[in-house]
Amino acid sequence: MRVINVALPKGRLGERVCRLFEKSGLSIPGILEPGRKLIFEREFADLNFALRLFWVKPFDVPVYVERGAADIGISAKDILLEREPDVYELLDLKTGICTMSVAALENFADDNSRTLRVATEFPNIARKYYAGLGRDIDIICLRGSVELAPILNLSDVIVDIVETGTTLRENNLRVINNIANLSARLIANKSAYKFKTQEINNIIGKLRT
Amino acid sequence: MLRDLNTLPKYLRPEEFAALKLRELYSDYGYSFYRMGKFEEYDLYAKNKEFLISQDIITFTDIDGKLMALKPDVTLSIVKHLRENPENVLQKFFYDEKIYRTSRNIRAFREISQVGLECIGAFDEACVREVLELALKSLEKISDGKEYVLDVSHLGLLSSLLSRIDNTNLRADILKFVSEKNSHEIANLQIPELEKNLLVKLINVSGISELREIFRGNYYLAQFENLLGNFGGNVRVDFSVISDLNYYNGIVFRGFIDGVPESILSGGQYDNLMRRMGHENSHAIGFAVYLDKLGGNHESY
Repeated sequence: MRVINVALPKGRLGERVCRLFEKSGLSIPGILEPGRKLIFEREFADLNFALRLFWVKPFDVPVYVERGAADIGISAKDILLEREPDVYELLDLKTGICTMSVAALENFADDNSRTLRVATEFPNIARKYYAGLGRDIDIICLRGSVELAPILNLSDVIVDIVETGTTLRENNLRVINNIANLSARLIANKSAYKFKTQEINNIIGKLRT
Repeated sequence: MLRDLNTLPKYLRPEEFAALKLRELYSDYGYSFYRMGKFEEYDLYAKNKEFLISQDIITFTDIDGKLMALKPDVTLSIVKHLRENPENVLQKFFYDEKIYRTSRNIRAFREISQVGLECIGAFDEACVREVLELALKSLEKISDGKEYVLDVSHLGLLSSLLSRIDNTNLRADILKFVSEKNSHEIANLQIPELEKNLLVKLINVSGISELREIFRGNYYLAQFENLLGNFGGNVRVDFSVISDLNYYNGIVFRGFIDGVPESILSGGQYDNLMRRMGHENSHAIGFAVYLDKLGGNHESY
């Protein structure tokens, strides 16, 4: 019986995905119970495979999959866009839906004659987006509370994930442009998918219904 | 002369042993050994940047002031220094060289062992089949009894689908999504339904029979079918194998071994590179094996 290693992102998205696994007939006992255990296993005799799920930091999921420590993984699209791993992206789980957007203060007006200061947690996404527009930018790389940057005049705009827009509104910011639509994606290691095709396709089939 | 590989000294490392096995294989097929004794001028690589997998190059100034480079690739040198005009004769080479590339993960140069072969000149389908056969045999020799597959796609077929899309940015997106087997992003693209459906089908193709539906009447299809016809289950049709269309045409392929997380063999037909290097009417096909990638997963062969 083949074991399929699955990297799950710790946190809210991972919990949602676990419930999705449960609904699809792939429930793993104990996985959502509080505790420090990181690895969970279950055999599915009828499907002729076993699942070994483990929790990792969301930003690390693509690394585990690209390097083959996990055969498949669930990752938010923003992390895939930022890290650009060499993996297959096999399924849109249609959960954790949000957008990658450019936002600025309500009264912001772009001045093309100066370098645009962009604060973001996603330097690669920001760089690529503005390179596509041919806009000269300076990137201010932050690890959170990105909304603060324009208020303190640390940056002109921010490139960030927008879910409901509440945080933006409360801080007097508005979305100027959408860069990409985001949601949770199922990714697979390219080599693992060659040799565990049937098992991985089975999992995808179940998650899809 | 050492003909029996079993008598080789015990201190050979697994990848060195594998390299010798491959060299023996290629030599048995009539390929001649190519050795790069010199350095190339930087210009050769700068002009063909997109052909190189990693575009960073180590440069240095030669005694006479010329800007030179440590090779990031062997194929370009072989094509540049062909003795005979490739439009008239068939030339076959294999090599076992160190190349210098940066890896995506550590932003630093590394020395990488590469064993490969090139079949260049006036060749026919039999040559293409031979190179595929050698790619398959190479995988068998280094797989140590593990499962292996050779994924093959055809850029001529793929281009015939792409050529129906006018917007070049969209085409680049499509190539990326096909290489990721990303049907859901294809479904979101602003392209006609017909093309969308064909692309989604193409991503999920696993056998030649499904290709007939997608590429009905296409010129390359019979050629592709004919080529893959006699290979067993280890050769699979997979259009996620994509190489730069400015250099490659015809078939491109990647080899995988169970337990090795990345492709270990990579190759294809590169007539377009020949054209760029001034050989209008000649063909070329080849592949390289990256033995370093066998790494820790393969202690013994």
